[in-house]
Amino acid sequence: MGVPALTQEWMDAYKAAIVADPEYKTIAKDWEGSVALVCLADPSKGIPETVYLFQDYWHGDVGEFVVCDKEKAESAKFVMTGEYSRWKQIARKELDATKALLQGKLKMKGDLPYVVRNIKTVNKVIDILGTFETIWPDEV
Amino acid sequence: MAMGYAGKFLLVNLSDNSCTDFTIVDADLEKYIGGSCLAAKIYFDKYPLDADPLSKDNPLMIMTGPMVGSGFPGTSRFSICAKAPQTGIWGESACGGTFGPELKRAGYDGIVFEGAADKPAYLSILDGEAKINDASHLWGKDIYEVTDLLKAAGKSIKVLAIGAAGENLVQIAAIGNDKGHFSGRTGLGAVMGAKKLKAVIVKGSAKTDKSDEDRYKAAFKTAVAEVKDSALAEGLHMMGSDANMDLGMVTGDVPIKNWTVGQDFDLSFNLSGPTMREKYLTKAHACANCPVACKRVVKVDDGPFRTEEGPGPEYETCGTFGTMLMNPDLSAVIKANELCNKYGMDTISCGSAIALAMELYEKGTLSTDDTDGLDLSWGNMEAVMTLIKKMAYREGFGDLLADGAVKAAKKIGGDAIDYVVHVKGLEAPMHDPRGFHGMGLAYMMSNRGACHLQHAVLATEQGMASWPQLFDMKDDYDGTTSVDKAALVYNSENYGILGNSLAICHYLVDILKPETILEAFNAITGFNLTKDDLLKSGMRDWTLKRGFNNLLGITAKDDKLPKKLLTALEDGGAAGSVPDVELLLSEYYAIRGLDDRGFPKKEKLDELGLTELKERLYQ
Repeated sequence: MGVPALTQEWMDAYKAAIVADPEYKTIAKDWEGSVALVCLADPSKGIPETVYLFQDYWHGDVGEFVVCDKEKAESAKFVMTGEYSRWKQIARKELDATKALLQGKLKMKGDLPYVVRNIKTVNKVIDILGTFETIWPDEV
Repeated sequence: MAMGYAGKFLLVNLSDNSCTDFTIVDADLEKYIGGSCLAAKIYFDKYPLDADPLSKDNPLMIMTGPMVGSGFPGTSRFSICAKAPQTGIWGESACGGTFGPELKRAGYDGIVFEGAADKPAYLSILDGEAKINDASHLWGKDIYEVTDLLKAAGKSIKVLAIGAAGENLVQIAAIGNDKGHFSGRTGLGAVMGAKKLKAVIVKGSAKTDKSDEDRYKAAFKTAVAEVKDSALAEGLHMMGSDANMDLGMVTGDVPIKNWTVGQDFDLSFNLSGPTMREKYLTKAHACANCPVACKRVVKVDDGPFRTEEGPGPEYETCGTFGTMLMNPDLSAVIKANELCNKYGMDTISCGSAIALAMELYEKGTLSTDDTDGLDLSWGNMEAVMTLIKKMAYREGFGDLLADGAVKAAKKIGGDAIDYVVHVKGLEAPMHDPRGFHGMGLAYMMSNRGACHLQHAVLATEQGMASWPQLFDMKDDYDGTTSVDKAALVYNSENYGILGNSLAICHYLVDILKPETILEAFNAITGFNLTKDDLLKSGMRDWTLKRGFNNLLGITAKDDKLPKKLLTALEDGGAAGSVPDVELLLSEYYAIRGLDDRGFPKKEKLDELGLTELKERLYQ
């Protein structure tokens, strides 16, 4: 049984999966700062309003992981914005997040060299995203 | 008269000291556009293909394109072409900077040099007047010195020059524009050296008219917005091309220890674009009219590898003088880059030749008895600096390496050639086909030898660009499979090769939408080509150069990868993976229309209007 995508339950499951990952803490030991994921509204896919998710990461520890409002999301060190279909492709490993960013399918606000420098951490967090079962609203 | 062009080319005969203007008919301009494609057409029509590359019979061509000088992003480029000293086949090397647009302003679309001067000479084209001048006082000086001396007459003068390597006919010699931009590959600096042509300077103020100024302005505005919206452009601006070091280390793109190690994150951390930015960057620099500004200006203030403030290394150089040599010191890479710039040597070939020497030294094939006493242990960068100079001046052991890794391995003998990663005599750039099988096919089929800039495979296979509107392609390709790659490579060649005929930077080809480039091209030229016309032009370009090489003896047996690239790595993003050469080539040959010998089929030549090539291939 999966958890509904882009909900607090999903964020809790995501956080738990990161914490449980045996490699994450080591790989992410240098990462400092919060990340917001913004999924743009797409009513045709069951996303009536834009969804804002806030995730706090610090030297391999994982802090606040919440569905939030726009203001809090925009306070994050990095803000990643994309359409629902792109986030779903990324979670399902049908589209690499770095490629999505370079192709303009995701937009990022934040220190790009920092992300490049810590690309292993970014890849790890995205890998974990695909490790727990998700119920996608357009498939319900 | 086709618009966007200056309208004339300059023929310089260095043997009889003459300069003559000539024109090319509009039909040929529309068909071959400009840059290296038009150069190949001129060479094919007019010159003997069997010329020794270092003889007076090998013409050297410097070609722009119709978009150059327009101000459109990325159109600062020009291609230098000749039969290549390093490989003996078609040679070309594109360059950004300032020279191309200034040549257009000086009144010319291109220059063809014939013959050879009796004594050192340089060509000046100042406000429309072309003149061959004595360069005796410049001979022996490095590229930075020559550039400063020639610019003393006016800051707006743009300079193209060779250094010691070109003068000494080093077959990996490069040609430098205004110190910071280089035509590095295939050894064309040696063609200049053989012609005793030390430099070319240009200055002008002519304006090239566009077919539809308003249409162009709209396309320009769209292009600038696309650059502003591009994460690739942002990354290049902030980190330069060396942004690839961190990313490529994850995916298995970065060659390490002469292509024998799969992953080393300490190396990539120390050699990466972010590290260069933090420790050595003084400012970003742009080629003419480029909003991206990916070029690095760097300075090493202290330590054994101090440098002047000057052009920083590209990713390729951080590979060849960094990971390939097991050197974690970025300041040493910057110093090696500075030396190669001054002497005028291609950093890919130079670093690759030294990597070969280091591996053979480790194996015991070479010893200090062979290396003039140099300890060529991995990462010994003091020895590398000495060796770079020896190569440029053909001194001692440096002479053995001066013509590139392949010729060095052949001189060393035994199994040394098995330690060289090359295709058709040109050392591969710093992208490992074991991590990206399509790149392996692109290396095999590139018309100047192993190359990442004769196509757009690097961008499409690695996901920097996606053009479903141009041809059938996926959002995301798995690098470590050969399935579905032949069509991707074929299409990425047909489109990417246009970078070298339109003379537009490959990064801008990746960043901008194809329809934006096409719109600007049509607005400038008035040709009103469709995207299919444009892709057909790319096919014609590729096929013409392939035919050129076929006539020089290149056949299917030369389309191959070296032993190292068919040996799987034990670790890293490409662990256990090697390209399926048979699958790649069989599918590609069918799509490209090549016969079993590797020749373009007659019907393909007819389709592309390459009638004369057909006659010569099938006579």
